[in-house]
Amino acid sequence: MKTWLSVCALTLGIVSLAQANPAAHPAARTPTQAELRNALAAMPNGDALRGKRLGQQLMCASCHGETGVAISRNWSSLAGQTAAYTYKSLQDYQQRGRFENQRARLMQVAVTGMSQQDMADVAVYYASLKPAPSSAPRLSSAAHARAEQLARHGDPARLITACASCHGAAGQGNKLTPALAGQTVEAFMRTMHDYRAGHRITDANQGMRQFAQRMTLAEINDLAIYYARMGKP
Amino acid sequence: MLNRRDFIKAGAALACAAALPARAADTAAHVVIIGGGVGGATAAKYLKLANPKLRVTVIEANRVYVRGYGSSEVVTGHATMADLNVSYDALHQRYGIHFIFDTVVGFDPDKRQVRTAGRQTIAYDKLIVSPGISLQYSAIPGYSAALAETRAPSGWIPGTQTALLAQQLKAMRQGGTFVLIAPPKPYRCPPGPYERAALVTEWMRKHNPTGKLVILDPKDDFVTDASMQLGWHRLYGYNIPADFMKGMPADVKNSGKPAPIEWVRARDGGTVSKIDPKSLTVTFAGGSIKADVLNVIPPMKAGKLAFDMGLVDASGWCPIERRTFASSLHPDVFVIGDASIADVMPKSGYSANNQAKITAFAVANLLAGRAPDEPKWKNVCYALAGSDYGLFVADVFRLKDNKIVQISGHRYMSLDATPTQIRLGAAYQQAWLKTFTEDCFA
Amino acid sequence: MKTLLVSSALAMLATLFTPAHASEHNGAAMAATCAGCHGTHGKLRNQEFVPLAGMPEAEFIRAMRDYKSGKRQSTLMGNLAQGFSDRDVQAMARYFARVK
Ligand SMILES: Cc1cc2nc3c(=O)[nH]c(=O)nc-3n(C[C@H](O)[C@H](O)[C@H](O)COP(=O)(O)OP(=O)(O)OC[C@H]3O[C@@H](n4cnc5c(N)ncnc54)[C@H](O)[C@@H]3O)c2cc1C
Ligand code: HEC
Ligand code: HEC
Ligand code: HEC
Repeated sequence: MKTWLSVCALTLGIVSLAQANPAAHPAARTPTQAELRNALAAMPNGDALRGKRLGQQLMCASCHGETGVAISRNWSSLAGQTAAYTYKSLQDYQQRGRFENQRARLMQVAVTGMSQQDMADVAVYYASLKPAPSSAPRLSSAAHARAEQLARHGDPARLITACASCHGAAGQGNKLTPALAGQTVEAFMRTMHDYRAGHRITDANQGMRQFAQRMTLAEINDLAIYYARMGKP
Repeated sequence: MLNRRDFIKAGAALACAAALPARAADTAAHVVIIGGGVGGATAAKYLKLANPKLRVTVIEANRVYVRGYGSSEVVTGHATMADLNVSYDALHQRYGIHFIFDTVVGFDPDKRQVRTAGRQTIAYDKLIVSPGISLQYSAIPGYSAALAETRAPSGWIPGTQTALLAQQLKAMRQGGTFVLIAPPKPYRCPPGPYERAALVTEWMRKHNPTGKLVILDPKDDFVTDASMQLGWHRLYGYNIPADFMKGMPADVKNSGKPAPIEWVRARDGGTVSKIDPKSLTVTFAGGSIKADVLNVIPPMKAGKLAFDMGLVDASGWCPIERRTFASSLHPDVFVIGDASIADVMPKSGYSANNQAKITAFAVANLLAGRAPDEPKWKNVCYALAGSDYGLFVADVFRLKDNKIVQISGHRYMSLDATPTQIRLGAAYQQAWLKTFTEDCFA
Repeated sequence: MKTLLVSSALAMLATLFTPAHASEHNGAAMAATCAGCHGTHGKLRNQEFVPLAGMPEAEFIRAMRDYKSGKRQSTLMGNLAQGFSDRDVQAMARYFARVK
């Protein structure tokens, strides 16, 4: 079982599982709720057309894809993401040292010198795009049922709140709560592992870190496929 | 797992065993590698990956490898000497490669035996030699190994001279002049001297803002030249010579003001004729200059071992048959890395690593009675014009008429690279130091 | 026990370079030249560079093609991709897809 999981982890390209030090990067910090509220209130109106151009100029397209659909398993999809969450994530990298794994360094480089207007523009652009249908293999009906149970109802015994209560019944997200529908399986897994290990500390109330820690690797894997296949909300 | 002491014992036991005839009836072939640097270490690992049954022994003079790549970062305090140390434990423990820490002093190609300073005799079926370079200190009148260890370090084989250069830079008087003498071709790490010049200039801007760096060069060009000079221009106000202006972005305008970094080429009289060891005054075709810190990167030849073993030709480098890097002078011997004559393939760590792999596969194939494959090699040298300003040379090579030729394409970071590409280049350069070391040594 | 595991893992890795594969137009040998950045056998743990091990063939081929044509921006893969023919790329794709 253990071997199966680790083989699975390897093929899914989880990068930070094996890291020796389970602590977050020293320069990274968690935003406060108030900080997020203020930043969101101050978010400029975005211009999707300009955002599209910036996506080329700043090389976002070379990793996240021209239409926000991840070019490979090694990157995440941004198409259909809420503008607020994309904007917030870019600020995490630029201002709060988000560093969930070594590849976050690339994002820190990519956001160097971006203004708030630039961030709003790309955020609005990606929000305007459709997530791509996933090619992830279908879950068995039992696995699907278990994933759906967690997504819709959570597991009160383990203090896991229903994912849908925040991320939406169709995984569509809402403002600072990200859309999950159509995210690549690999990126979903990476990020859940980073929360779980305490490497990713961008969640203001530590909710995601706690949920991830209370879930098994197999559950995370199933939920990744469940959301990847959810497609366009 | 073996602990360190077992490791040494195992090495000693093997050394005795190895003195026996190399191949008894059904024991696996014994491949001996001399030099556990980039080339030798990579060859050992990839031989084991190609065929775990092979017996692989590395004979290396030092217990810990001090890596040259990234060593200019010690000069400017971005890294410490300890950061350059690389252990051989992983190669031994993971792959069962045997190590003998001793210096090879000679060999008998007929008996296929190697002799060491510690009076060991080691027999081989195939021998791979990756001895690195030797520095021709006395090629510049007034310069010497003694001067390099005391007053005018070279730091091109990393070690005490690297540390000395770092100290000297720190202690240099405000407004002093750092003179860097660049080597003639061919030499180890083509962009290296110019990257070092850039990092020293960047350091001085912060800690010695009136200090100045002058490169005296017996050449008129260098690998990454245009893209490196563009970096110098942007970061330090360097004036780009007219013949390099072609293809530069439209906003590039020389100020004409003296810049903290200056490149005196051969055509401008940059060729050095002598050094005065007392005053550190350097005489060159275009004049003379008194250095406060003098970093001399002298002409180079193959490592001394290659001379001792009779593997070099009149050029001072080792002639090889390109497909497998088999020595043209002795059978069953292969020469890889900086010491080999690899045509347009630069003398770099990445080249040594790639040659090691292709040669390891070829040796494994030959021992199994198969023909070696059609080779393709690669080289990428990352270089920094500043801590956040990355660039590179990237080439793919193939065999043509028993010569190594470039497959055409762009070689350097393009001159219209965006700020994102340039900063990503610097991030990848730092990452490369880790991934590359792992591929060679772990 | 641990040693056993290590050596059997080594044997497993080594089969990737055995001649049956290598003769497939050199896919394994060529792929080994990428390892200085992408890791031995295309495997990396937590690094800025991305692993190539286990990458589906189509994804790999598309990446190399788009780098070569310039459709996909890069720092240096655009330069490197110039040096490989479609056949080379296919051979490497087969090799990397097979690494588990
Ligand atoms: C400042 C600097 C920066 C560089 N930057 C880069 C870079 O960014 N990228 C890059 O690709 N390359 C770079 N290089 C070049 C790279 O370090 C060399 O090209 C590479 O080390 C060559 O490998 P090699 O195996 O030929 O020699 P080495 O790595 O020098 O190994 C030779 C080994 O042989 C051993 N040896 C020699 N004689 C004997 C003997 N008689 N008996 C036993 N052992 C012996 C030595 O102890 C040594 O360990 C840089 C070099 C310098 C100096
Ligand atoms: C060199 C590749 C690269 C480039 C260029 C790049 N990114 Fe990223 N980006 C990443 C990686 C890696 C992550 C971390 C997520 C992961 O592991 O997939 C990430 C994460 C993100 C996230 C957070 C996603 C989430 O769900 O938390 C956003 C938003 C983002 N990138 C937007 C951008 C924008 C906008 C640009 C251009 C300005 C850009 N990226 C350029 C590689 C890149
Ligand atoms: C209480 C509300 C809440 C619940 C319940 C919740 N989440 Fe989240 N989730 C969030 C918020 C808010 C974020 C963004 C946090 C941040 O910025 O780091 C997030 C982030 C994520 C991300 C990262 C997305 C990305 O693109 O980087 C994933 C994956 C995720 N949640 C999955 C789940 C799953 C699976 C569940 C159910 C087991 C769940 N969440 C339950 C609020 C919630
Ligand atoms: C000197 C380092 C280096 C070497 C050597 C190298 N790569 Fe890359 N590779 C990169 C970088 C950096 C990227 C990200 C794109 C860029 O900026 O060039 C990348 C990206 C890739 C990608 C895209 C992966 C994805 O998920 O999007 C593929 C495929 C790839 N490389 C294949 C290869 C192959 C095949 C070789 C050997 C023939 C190779 N690389 C050699 C540095 C390297």
